[in-house]
Amino acid sequence: MSRRWAYILNEAVIGLRRNLSMTAAMILSVTVTFALFGGSVLLREQVELATDDWTDKIEVSIFLCDGRQCPAITPEQQDSLLTALEENPLVEQVFYESKEEAYQRFLERFEGQEDFTRGVTADALPASFRVKLVNPEEFLAIQQEYEEFPGVEDIVDSREILEGFLTLARWVRIAAVAIALIQMIAATLLVGNTVRVAAVARQDQTQVMKLVGASNWYIRLPFVVEGVIAGLIGAAVAWVLLIASVPWTADALAGQIQFVPFIGTSHALGVWPWLFIPSVIISVVSSIIGLWGFLDV
Amino acid sequence: MISLVNVTKTYKQGEPGEVVALDDISLDVGRGEFVFVVGPSGSGKSTFMKLLTREVLPDGGEIHVAGKNLGTLKRWKVPALRREIGYVFQDFKLLPKKTVSENVAFALEVIGAPGSLIAQRVPEVLALVDLTAKADAMPNELSGGQQQRVSIARAFVNAPPIMLCDEPTGNLDPQTSVEIMKLLDRINRTGTTVVMATHDQQIVDTMRKRVVELAHGKLVRDQSRGVYGYAN
Repeated sequence: MSRRWAYILNEAVIGLRRNLSMTAAMILSVTVTFALFGGSVLLREQVELATDDWTDKIEVSIFLCDGRQCPAITPEQQDSLLTALEENPLVEQVFYESKEEAYQRFLERFEGQEDFTRGVTADALPASFRVKLVNPEEFLAIQQEYEEFPGVEDIVDSREILEGFLTLARWVRIAAVAIALIQMIAATLLVGNTVRVAAVARQDQTQVMKLVGASNWYIRLPFVVEGVIAGLIGAAVAWVLLIASVPWTADALAGQIQFVPFIGTSHALGVWPWLFIPSVIISVVSSIIGLWGFLDV
Repeated sequence: MISLVNVTKTYKQGEPGEVVALDDISLDVGRGEFVFVVGPSGSGKSTFMKLLTREVLPDGGEIHVAGKNLGTLKRWKVPALRREIGYVFQDFKLLPKKTVSENVAFALEVIGAPGSLIAQRVPEVLALVDLTAKADAMPNELSGGQQQRVSIARAFVNAPPIMLCDEPTGNLDPQTSVEIMKLLDRINRTGTTVVMATHDQQIVDTMRKRVVELAHGKLVRDQSRGVYGYAN
């Protein structure tokens, strides 16, 4: 490490230790900001995970009899059902999903949750027609029309399964982002102010530096680095909190909501760029605002 | 080395409580000169010093220091100007947690000087101010006169062509002040231009150097080999 950076880091650490309560307030404020912000990022990942490519496209699942609940659908019945669906003006698209495909998709969605998938065999999941409607609100019409069709076991509005969960997730996320933004303003002001106080406390030193001809950045950088260190610590604490709490919360929810995959530790670990990069940007910007005009030559 | 042409500086211009700190000052200081700037408190001495380091800009007139026109000097070039000036404060402004040699080295470190230069220059300049024995002492272990010598060493370590001294003997007793003046005189003899603001009458009268007197922001006297008062 060059002499220059050694000096800058040393000065920054002196500044952080000089006023521990301010430093703690600054770090906590950044922690709360980024715990909320990181939480909202994870919530978005959760929603994406719960709505895979299929659930995005289809609104209605027509499950076909496989002989367990009702007599297995015959190839002829299946053909005529497909033709009927394809000719129905309410239907935009129809996909056939075999038992094997259903099982593969199931394994993909619940990847990493072997406890849950182990008990399910390829045979357990029914084949189905996956239907995309021209107007998603027309579910009831479809249900009435095909309910009694021979070989049809059940017709499910796929949206309904997720709807409640997704609506809740959306609102929680909006709330988290809103609070994170307010908290972010508070953190910015706090970092800016703390850095300014640190600069005032070392006014004698900065005055000497100015008059011996130290460059502006040489004078300012220790204070900016001070803010950045606090920002990084705050982001790190937020990260640890998310890693500790998110898998636990997801497990608790998984017990409540069936057939929806949940995010886990790997997602919480992967959220770090959303914490550290913005925290560095925010602390640099607020340090510069805090020093604005104050340490000018 | 230093030239002021019709320089005016007013604080709170156009507001109630307007203060004319300097009024139409013109002055030339050549290379290697020793100049006292005298006058009572509020005469404009401080503003004069601040203009030379470009801590403040004049409202009117032109200032040249070390070949630079301060009116057109870009902000980012101000540090380069200050490297041409050694500045000595009345209250020394030594950093209390650094040793004597660290305080002196600090002035070179913060302008990015290489370590080899620092290792060479610091002992040289400590020898010049006769504090080699105190190199590892902390500032609070030194007398006022010794502290001011450290402060002068720090100002001179970069071998600037100009030394600006703001009341350097203001906090010192007469005998110590004489030591400081001998030191500044020695620095002046190396070809360094020295400008010293003071209201220490005895020193000015003893040294018999050029005297520039300010009163109410006006230059009222510029006399070579002068004394403090209007005696001659």
